[in-house]
Amino acid sequence: MTGKASKKLIDLGKNMVTDINEGKAPEFESTLRTKSNTLYDEGIGCLRLGEKKETRKFLSVAQARTFMQTVAIAAKTRQFLDQNLHTSIRGLFYQLKFSLGENMDEDLFAEQSESNALIEDLEVALKLKREDLNLTTDRKGFVAGAMTIRDKFGGEETVIDCAKQGRSGWSIPSDVDNDMEIENVKAKYVLVVEKDALWQRLNEDKFWKKENCLVVTPKGQSTRGTRRLLRKLADKKLPIYCLMDCDAWGWYIYWTIKTGSMNLAYLGRDFSVPEARFIGVTMTDIEEYDFLKKLTIKAKDVDLKRAQEMMDYPWINRHKEWVKELKLVLKTKKKIEQDALQGQRLTFVGEYIKDKIDNKKWLP
Amino acid sequence: MDDTFKQFKEHSVAEFFKKNRQMLGFSGKIRSLTMIVHELVTNSLDACEEAGILPEINVEIKEIGNEHYLVSTRDNGPGIPENYIGKALGMMLAGTKFHRYIQQRGQQGIGASGCTMFSYITTGQPIRAVSYNNKKKKEYEIQIDLKRNRPVVKKISEEDTEEQGLAYSAEFKDVKYEKSNKGPFEYIRRTALANPHAQITFKDPSGETSVFPRSVERNPPKPFEIKPHPLGINTHDLLEFSHHYAKEYRKISALLQNVFSRVSANKVSELRGIAAEVDFNKSPKNMTWEDAEALTKAFQKVKWIAPATDSLVPIGKEQIEASFRNIFNPELLVVTERSPRVYRGGIPFSVEVGIAYGGGVKEAGKKGEVMRFANRVPMLFDISGCAITDVVKNIDWKRYNLKDFDEAPIVVLVNFVSVYVPYTSAGKLAIAGEEDIENEIRFAVMEASRGIQKYISGRRKETEIATKKKVVSRYVPQLASDLASLTGKDSGRLEKKLMGIIEEKYISRKTKSEPEESAENKEVEE
Repeated sequence: MTGKASKKLIDLGKNMVTDINEGKAPEFESTLRTKSNTLYDEGIGCLRLGEKKETRKFLSVAQARTFMQTVAIAAKTRQFLDQNLHTSIRGLFYQLKFSLGENMDEDLFAEQSESNALIEDLEVALKLKREDLNLTTDRKGFVAGAMTIRDKFGGEETVIDCAKQGRSGWSIPSDVDNDMEIENVKAKYVLVVEKDALWQRLNEDKFWKKENCLVVTPKGQSTRGTRRLLRKLADKKLPIYCLMDCDAWGWYIYWTIKTGSMNLAYLGRDFSVPEARFIGVTMTDIEEYDFLKKLTIKAKDVDLKRAQEMMDYPWINRHKEWVKELKLVLKTKKKIEQDALQGQRLTFVGEYIKDKIDNKKWLP
Repeated sequence: MDDTFKQFKEHSVAEFFKKNRQMLGFSGKIRSLTMIVHELVTNSLDACEEAGILPEINVEIKEIGNEHYLVSTRDNGPGIPENYIGKALGMMLAGTKFHRYIQQRGQQGIGASGCTMFSYITTGQPIRAVSYNNKKKKEYEIQIDLKRNRPVVKKISEEDTEEQGLAYSAEFKDVKYEKSNKGPFEYIRRTALANPHAQITFKDPSGETSVFPRSVERNPPKPFEIKPHPLGINTHDLLEFSHHYAKEYRKISALLQNVFSRVSANKVSELRGIAAEVDFNKSPKNMTWEDAEALTKAFQKVKWIAPATDSLVPIGKEQIEASFRNIFNPELLVVTERSPRVYRGGIPFSVEVGIAYGGGVKEAGKKGEVMRFANRVPMLFDISGCAITDVVKNIDWKRYNLKDFDEAPIVVLVNFVSVYVPYTSAGKLAIAGEEDIENEIRFAVMEASRGIQKYISGRRKETEIATKKKVVSRYVPQLASDLASLTGKDSGRLEKKLMGIIEEKYISRKTKSEPEESAENKEVEE
C-alpha cells in the first residue's frame, strides 16, 4: 500500500515535469468537490462524488498558491512514506510552515486550515486516503468485545485482544488499514453507542460478554479510524446497531456512519456503513416506555432545523420510518438523550437494547 | 453737474485709466504683474508673426525692492521705426476699439502703452525701449503725458547694428511675483504651449531660467478679416458699423450688402418687407437706434446662409501635440481636430482640446488642471464663471475611467478660436456661457476623453497582467524545488522553464505586437 501511494505521488510530479518540458503550464485533474457534484449512490447506499472533474492550474492567479502548496504536501508526505514515519495533519502543517524566501513576507502555509483543505484535495485527486500518506488523526473511539487485532507497529508485531482491555477498552487508532488486520472476530454483532458514559455502563455490565457483541463508542462524531473499523466489521457480515441521542447531533452521528457526510463525500463507500441500523433512542420510545415521558427535554431550534433538513435529504426521506420519526419531533418539539435510559434503573439499558434488537425495533 | 462734466472733459483717456486701472486688468498685485507680461509678450508675438519671423522672446523679472520689480523683454521682431515708437509704447488708444472681425490675440488689452502708463503711475519713472530696426539700434526713454495722452519720447543713443527686434524694460511697484497658477511663469508656460512656433525664455526673480523651446518651425497662417454675418451683430454694433462706413456708402441698403456677409439684393428686399418702418434709402450716417433695432430684429427672421468659417486659424492638432510633448512630455496625449461651428447663428468659432495625462504632467505636479485659451492667449484669471471651466468640471469623468478628476495627473487644454470672443465682461478673462459654445466645448472634451478612457483601461490591463505575472512567479522556486524532490529532476532547470512559460503567458500587449513586426521585417529582408 505504501508503495502504491508513493508511486501516485511521484507520478503526479512526473506528469507536471512532462508538461513543463513541453512548455506547458503544469496542471492536474481532480474530481469536483462541490455540493452539486455530491450525490447519493442508491446502489451502495452512501454519499459519494459524481463524475465531474476540474483541472487545477498553476498558471492562474487564483490557484497558483494552492497549487504550489498541494505539490509541497505531495513532496513532504512522500518523504514521510520513504522514511516510514507518521505525523498528524498538524505535524505536517508545522513541517511546511516556513517562509517562501528571504525577501518574501509570505509563508508556504500560514494556517493549518490551508493545509487541512489541501490534504483532502490530494486525497481526492490521487484517490488515496490520508492514512495512506502516513498522516494520522486523533484517536477517539473505543471498542470492547471478542475480537483480536494484529498490529505491526514500529517493527514489532502485537496481537491485541479487545476482550481483555479492562475498563478502558481498545483505543481505535486513526489508521486501521495499513500494517494492521482484524485477526479474529467471535462477536455476533456490533453495538455503537454515542457516548462514552453509556459505553462504560455497558462495559461494567459485561454486556458485550453476555451478548457476544462488540461495543463501540465513537465518543461523539466518529473518527475516520472508527468509521473504517465499522466498515470492515460490516464487511465481515456483522450487523451494526447504533444507539444515539434522539436529537440533531445524535442523528448526524448516525447518518455520518451510515452514508458518510456531505463534507467528506469523496471518501465514499470505504468510510460508510449503509448496513447500519438505528435502534434508538426514538420518539416512539417515549410512548412505549412510560418513565421516559418525564425525561424529555425541549428541542432546541438547531434540533428542529436539523430535523427539517433531514426530511429534505433524499437518502433519508426515502425511509418512511424516518419521516414519521422526524415529523413527530417537529410536532412535539421534544428530544431525549440516551442517558435517560438509565433514569429508572442503571441496568435497564441492556434490557432495552436486547428488546430492540431481538424484536427488530429499529429505524433503517 | 456742470462741474463734473468739465472735470471729465479735462481728463484724458490716460488719466481716466489711471483712476480706473482695474479696467485694464491691473487689479491685484499678482494679476497686475501677469498682465504686464501678457501685454509685452503678446506685442512681441504679434510683431514677429506680422513680419513673418519665428518669434524668439526673452522675459526677465528682477525684484529690486519690496513689491518693486524690473520687467524686461526682448524679441527678435522687426523693431519699431522711430516715428512710431512713441505711439506704440506711449499712447493709450483713444475711443473705444472698433470691432474688427478678425481672429486676434488682444481684443481688449491696452497693449504695451498700458504697461508704460502703469510703470509711470507706480514709480514715476519712464520706461526704456531699445529698437533694433533698419540696421539702427536706438535707445529711448518713454513716458506718457497723462493729461494730454501724449507720449514723451527721449532718445538716449543711436548706433549701427545688424540685430533686429525690440527690448523693453520698465520698473513697476505695487505688484508681486508669485510662482503660482496665476503668476507670470505659468502664463509663459501656457503661452508657449499655445504658440509652439515661438521660443520663450523666462528668468524669474530667483534667477532661475526656464526655456520653452520651439517645437514647430513654421508661423501659423495669418488670419484674415471677414465681413460680419447679420446674425452675429447686435443693435449697437450695427449702429457703429453704420456710422463708421457712412462716407463709403450712400444708402443703408448698400451698406448692408457690402459690409456684411451673405446679404444679397434679394435679402435686402426681404428685409424691406419685414422692417417696413426703416428707410433703406437714407444715408447710413442718419441711421437711428430705432432703425438699427428694427433691422437686427429683422435679421433674425430671415433665413441666412451660414458664415464662412475659413478665417479661423486654430493651433492645429500636430502643433498642440508637439507642444505638449515639448513642455510636459506626458504619458498619453489626445488632441481633437474638429470643424468650425457658428454661434448666435453668425459668428464662426472653433474649439481645440488637448488632454495630457501622466508622465511629465505628474512630475510637474499638475492635477486636474484646465488650461483655458482664447485665440491662443492663456486665461489665468476669472476661473469660475467661464464656460470652459464649467463644461470641463461638469464632465462625468468617472465614465472615462478617471475616479477623481481633481486628483488625477491630467491637463485639459481648451483653445477657443473666434473672430469675436464673447468675454463675460470687459477685463474678464472668461468666456460667456453661450449654448452653442458650451455644447461644442463639451463634445470636444468628450471626444478627447474617449482616448484617455481607452488608454487608462488598457493601462489597467497592463498593470493587471504585470500583477498576475508577479503573483504567479513568486511561487515558482518552491514549486520547482518540490517537483524536483518528487521526481529527482534538477530544480534550477525546472525553475527556469517555469519562468519561461510564465513570461510567455503573461506577455504584455506592447511586446506582443513585436513578433509580428519583426516577422514583417524579415519578409522584407528576404
